[in-house]
Amino acid sequence: MKISNKVVFAVFLTGFSIYLVFALNPEGASRILLNLLTFAGIYGLSAIGLNVHFGWTGLLNFGHASFMGVGAYVTLLLMPHAAGREGEITSTGLPFIVALIIGILSAALFGLLLGLPAIRLRGDYLAIVTIAAAEIFRLLVRDLESITGGVYGIINYTENLQQYRPNFINNFSESFGFSPSQAWVCLVAWVSIFFTVLFLKRLNNSPWGRALRAVREDEDAVRAMGKNAVWLKLQSFMLGAGIAGLSGVLLAFNYGSLETTVFVPLLTFYVWAIMILGGVGTITGPIFGSIIFWVIISETDRLAFILFENANGQQLAGVRFLLVGLLIMALMIFRPSGLLGKKEELLLDVK
Amino acid sequence: MSNSLIEVNNLKKTFGGLTAVDIKELGFNKGELTSIIGPNGAGKTTFFDLISGFQNSDSGDVHLKDKDISNFQPYKIARMGMVRTFQLTKVFDRMTVLENLLFSGSEISNDSLFKSVIKSKSQMKYEENLKDKAKNIMEELNILHMADSYARELSGGQKKLLELARSIINEPEILLLDEPLAGVNPKLAEDILSLIKKLSNEGITILMVEHNIEAVMKISERIVVLAEGSLIADGNPNEIRTNRNVIEAYLGKDND
Amino acid sequence: MLDQLGNGLLLGIIISVASVALSLLYGVTRIVNFAHGEIIALGAIMTLFFSSPVDYRVLFLDKYSPLGYNFALSCILAVIVCGLFGALLEICLFRPLRKGNVGNIAVLVVTIGLSIFTRHLYLLFATGKVQDFPLELQRRQTYLFFDMTPRNLNVLIAGIVVMLIFGFLLTYTRLGKAMRAVRDSEELSSVSGINSDNIILITWISSSMLAGLAGIFQAIINDVRWNMGFLILLLIFAGTVLGGIGTSFGAMVGGFLIGILVQVSVGLPFMEGHTEAKNAVALAIMILILLFRPQGIFGQKERIS
Repeated sequence: MKISNKVVFAVFLTGFSIYLVFALNPEGASRILLNLLTFAGIYGLSAIGLNVHFGWTGLLNFGHASFMGVGAYVTLLLMPHAAGREGEITSTGLPFIVALIIGILSAALFGLLLGLPAIRLRGDYLAIVTIAAAEIFRLLVRDLESITGGVYGIINYTENLQQYRPNFINNFSESFGFSPSQAWVCLVAWVSIFFTVLFLKRLNNSPWGRALRAVREDEDAVRAMGKNAVWLKLQSFMLGAGIAGLSGVLLAFNYGSLETTVFVPLLTFYVWAIMILGGVGTITGPIFGSIIFWVIISETDRLAFILFENANGQQLAGVRFLLVGLLIMALMIFRPSGLLGKKEELLLDVK
Repeated sequence: MSNSLIEVNNLKKTFGGLTAVDIKELGFNKGELTSIIGPNGAGKTTFFDLISGFQNSDSGDVHLKDKDISNFQPYKIARMGMVRTFQLTKVFDRMTVLENLLFSGSEISNDSLFKSVIKSKSQMKYEENLKDKAKNIMEELNILHMADSYARELSGGQKKLLELARSIINEPEILLLDEPLAGVNPKLAEDILSLIKKLSNEGITILMVEHNIEAVMKISERIVVLAEGSLIADGNPNEIRTNRNVIEAYLGKDND
Repeated sequence: MLDQLGNGLLLGIIISVASVALSLLYGVTRIVNFAHGEIIALGAIMTLFFSSPVDYRVLFLDKYSPLGYNFALSCILAVIVCGLFGALLEICLFRPLRKGNVGNIAVLVVTIGLSIFTRHLYLLFATGKVQDFPLELQRRQTYLFFDMTPRNLNVLIAGIVVMLIFGFLLTYTRLGKAMRAVRDSEELSSVSGINSDNIILITWISSSMLAGLAGIFQAIINDVRWNMGFLILLLIFAGTVLGGIGTSFGAMVGGFLIGILVQVSVGLPFMEGHTEAKNAVALAIMILILLFRPQGIFGQKERIS
């Protein structure tokens, strides 16, 4: 099997980044690494979903966080949990797997609802509409406190997943000194990525994948061939939304509590940065992009802490976003194909 | 007239005060090879857009096989058997020539997401057959050697061939060809012309917009002339060649 | 509902001026500038920087010694700085991108990156504290059928005057006509001897100055925050879309309508207890317009899909 230079470089860079974590953190490296890998896995999965939207179909979705949010909220609310200011307990609910499937389908359905009207819009207008829709989602969630817990959020749900945690995780975590619950979430995230990638690769090399590529190229020609370009785009929108929904659930389980500051535009921008870094239109690109991205973010966090001693927490967090903004700009200007993207397949030079 | 395959009545389309198309009555019969000619801006491509669903008329109607398709989506009209090409050649740039044809020839049920996940034996077989079909067409049109090249790498003439190949792979009943010879070298134009003639002999109804009058005269059974959106002449090549109105339209009224 | 009218007018003037600025930029350059909010914020932050007297700690660097200039002068200086910032963006970033034939989608993503970067730069250097201009507090007065402080009324009037002057300049001066020519067709206008690069530069400068002014208005009416531009960005888009993309008059009207709608919607029956979601009303309207009447109220039918 021929492995291209790009892949070699990506693997090397990823490996180097992980090495950096150990080098810069003589103590507690494994704990930091696990945390990093968990976020990388979750965000990577989300970016894979976004890639279906943008890389495969050319849809400018800047409301991605809301798809993650729909998946998370629906899933959590269907399982035993506690919510709201009083911590009102709901002790009955569906089993995790069932709730998860419904959550993913809900995210896909949200994609359908949003897509039905919006998918015909031109690029920049679709961007605005998706941001607006995500904002409406956030405001709705915040206001429907009786259902979603509003700003007080949802808690006491992690057991629904953790009850399935196998023993080897417990042993493993003990020897490395990190949290077994996070290790379990990390494993679930990466297994999800594995199966999602397999699924998407299968789809990519299929008549459906081929049809989607044609839509990306020239919708009018697709229509002249008797094929419904809009329906194909909608299907892809739903697919990416479902994947995002799954990642949203995982994010909720990583945090342990969920409230309205999680699924916000900044989350969407993170995922965009990861997708571009990894390579638009590639299935596995986001994986490398995500790991490297999170290493950069977490290490510069510490760097900022050292540099700006007088800054408060909020400002330090700002440094992280400063970098995200800079990264997005630099990538788009100098290397829009990212790590694994093919220059010939670049969508971004469409005028 | 009610036996016409395609029929338009009182078809009107204006763009901000400018009348692009204004045709009272026009029909096309099964199996005919008709060329549509006229000076620039005569409304020929707009006419194509209107009957293939890519634009909606302001008033009037379009009938295809006795069905009113005036407000139909383009893909629905294509499914009824009417396939068109475009003035500015449309190929799928970042897909290979083979993929261009595989996509075009694949029937809608084959493209389904569900089927693509399952990848049954019958779908594999279907794809195999499709590949053979595509290869045959590529061979016939002399582009087989470009099968694995990206479509964007093709020359202008080869792109036209690809667009043609794509249009015929599904054995359409009606072909709308928008300037199939534009920007193509004389030798290739000859080949394309004979292909069009051959398709017509096989029974396909063909409407062709063209500027190359010599070619038009050579192969058309019927010629329709548009000028400033209206129909000014309709007949066989000989009739059109000597038609006063046609000559005037092309050369301008101040030529007596 | 009527007591929100005053607030509506004030939000309206902010969104209005900002929308006109955005619409001007989009009209001439076809760029949807997601960093627009940051230029708005710059106007406010720079005014604070210039006008801050002794006891304000604006800058993050402890060595800062306050300037304490006259407030009006500070405003003028701030607007000039914004204009310069816009010129900088065009010369160093967007012109090279344009010359390099980079597509609209890529430029859009660049503006998003720019927006994130700049906003957090403000956070780092101007802190996350909510600050006010060094102006003394006033009490609300009743004018005709709305309430507001006298200073805010001045802002409202000033804003309207500025936009009228701007509209006049755009319609009747040679420069204005050249800008509209470039908006309609860059190729045609360059053939008729208009240097589109200069026109685009002037557009960036004017748009940024207007945006900075909108930020000053926002800061006078409300306060100065690092993310003040981002908070109203979506409303500005809504105003531009409602009024009609590509027309300055439309942007002005649309901006006002959105501002009034947002504040007035607080009084609607189904909004009771959910006043925080008033923005959602404006956003929902924007989505509906894009779907059913994309040209807005005054716009031309442009290709939206």
